[in-house]
Order: sequence, then structure tokens, then C-alpha cells
Amino acid sequence: MNDGPDEVIHQPVRLKIMAALTALDPSEEGLDFTRLKKLTAATDGNLGAHLDQLARAGYVEATKAFVGRRPRTTVKASAPGRAAFARHVAFLKAIIAGA
Amino acid sequence: MTIRSDEAAATLAEIERVVAKVKQSRVYRTTALITIVWGVVNLARGILVALWPAAFGPRWFLADLFGVAATIASLWKLPTRGGRFPVRFLAAFAIVYSFGWIWSHVIGQFGSREAAAFWPMLFLLGFAIAGLLFGWILTAIGIGLAALVIAGYLWSGGAFALWQAAVTGFGFIACGLWMRRS
Repeated sequence: MNDGPDEVIHQPVRLKIMAALTALDPSEEGLDFTRLKKLTAATDGNLGAHLDQLARAGYVEATKAFVGRRPRTTVKASAPGRAAFARHVAFLKAIIAGA
Repeated sequence: MTIRSDEAAATLAEIERVVAKVKQSRVYRTTALITIVWGVVNLARGILVALWPAAFGPRWFLADLFGVAATIASLWKLPTRGGRFPVRFLAAFAIVYSFGWIWSHVIGQFGSREAAAFWPMLFLLGFAIAGLLFGWILTAIGIGLAALVIAGYLWSGGAFALWQAAVTGFGFIACGLWMRRS
């Protein structure tokens, strides 16, 4: 179904987050918060807010754990998130093909 | 929401850039692990051979055997795409090692000083070339450390073994840590 853009994903920071997470295999553990911050060039607060929005849409899952004494948040794309991202990319390609 | 075709093209280009960056970081992560393992092996081997040449000189290969085992064990534990063992990394390692063995034992007749310079430079050549495909950091490490090996070969005199232990030991460890952060 390529009838419109996914408005949750299309926002630039969220698009980068989803691109990065879906580039990983579902069997991989995901990306940690620090790595995502580097990839998206977002601030802590900004990235956290966008991750919350993606999580509310059911597109990502976050896991919090301690590595030694340091807290570590790992984020992974969910199956619905992967499907939504694939649909959004297909929609973008359809726009270019139709131009 | 309406998206023009030029916006769609720019968005797809941005997606490709992020995906390439993630793939590059996966290559860096695997290479960093192997580099750190061999940095520790080189440092231990270099120090043992330099300080106790009679005891460890003829047994230098034990460190290399440990290095190969540690490389395989480290790759095994690394989370990878599809959960598969990164066979291509191990195959690249085996190919470079085989070429090196043929050059150093069959075609060339290297003395111990030449062999000590040749082996790290051979793997650093691999880094330099891989960097052209996967990321400039690998090329920088390959060329930078190779220059230090050549400098040691030419000018370090009797301290070459310790020089090599420092360059291929601390140097590899530092470069591995740099790759992990990139």
C-alpha cells in the first residue's frame, strides 16, 4: 500500500533513526543511544523525544540495561516498524518513478 | 502531506547515506576487535622475545597460534548480520596469511629483521586497501603504522624488536579503540 507518506517516519530525525535501525538484521541486538545520536546528529533530548514517538507508534522497541555501572539503552526496529519503513521507501520511489 | 520528486530523491539519498554509515560501523566494529586482539598478541610476543630471546625466540609462533584462536573466538562472539559467523573476515585473514607465507618462505628468503617488518606491513597493506572500500580510517591506520614500521626497520638499530612491539602492539590497540569510537 503506497497511498501516502508515513507521517511518523517522514520527519528527518525519525527517518534517519528508522534507516539506521532497519539497516540491521532483525537478529542483531539493535543500536545503542549514543550510536544513534551520532548517526542522527541529534541532541539527547531531541533524540529521546523522537524515539518516544516512534515507540508510541509501535515502530521501535527500547531495552534498558546496565553495562557495568553505566546505563545503556538499546533501540531496535520492530516488525511493524520495518514494514512501515519499507512502505515509506516504496512510496518515495513511486513519486520519483511517476515524475 | 505532499512530497515533490526532488524531496523524495533527497530523502532516499539521506536514507542511503545513513545505511552506508551503519554498514561502515559494522566493518569498523569487527576490524577493531581483531586489531585489538592482535595488538595484545604483538605486544606480548614482542616483549617476551626482546627480553628473553633464548626462551621465546624459537617459540614466537605460539603467540601467533594464540592470536589465531583468539581471533576465531572473538569473531564467534560478535553479533553479526543474520547471526552468521563472519566467514569473509576469516577468509580475508587466511588469504593474506597464505600469500605472506609463500612470499616470505618460498619466494623471498627473509632474515628475522625483514620478516618482523614484512608481516605487519602485509596486513597493514590490507588495511590500506580495505579503507578505500569501507572507510578512510582503515587507510589512515594502514599507511600510518606502515610508515612507523619502515622507520623502525631503517633507524631503530638494535631496538627494532621493542620498536615493533610498541608499534604493532600499542599502535594496533590504539587504532582498534579509535575504530570502535568512530
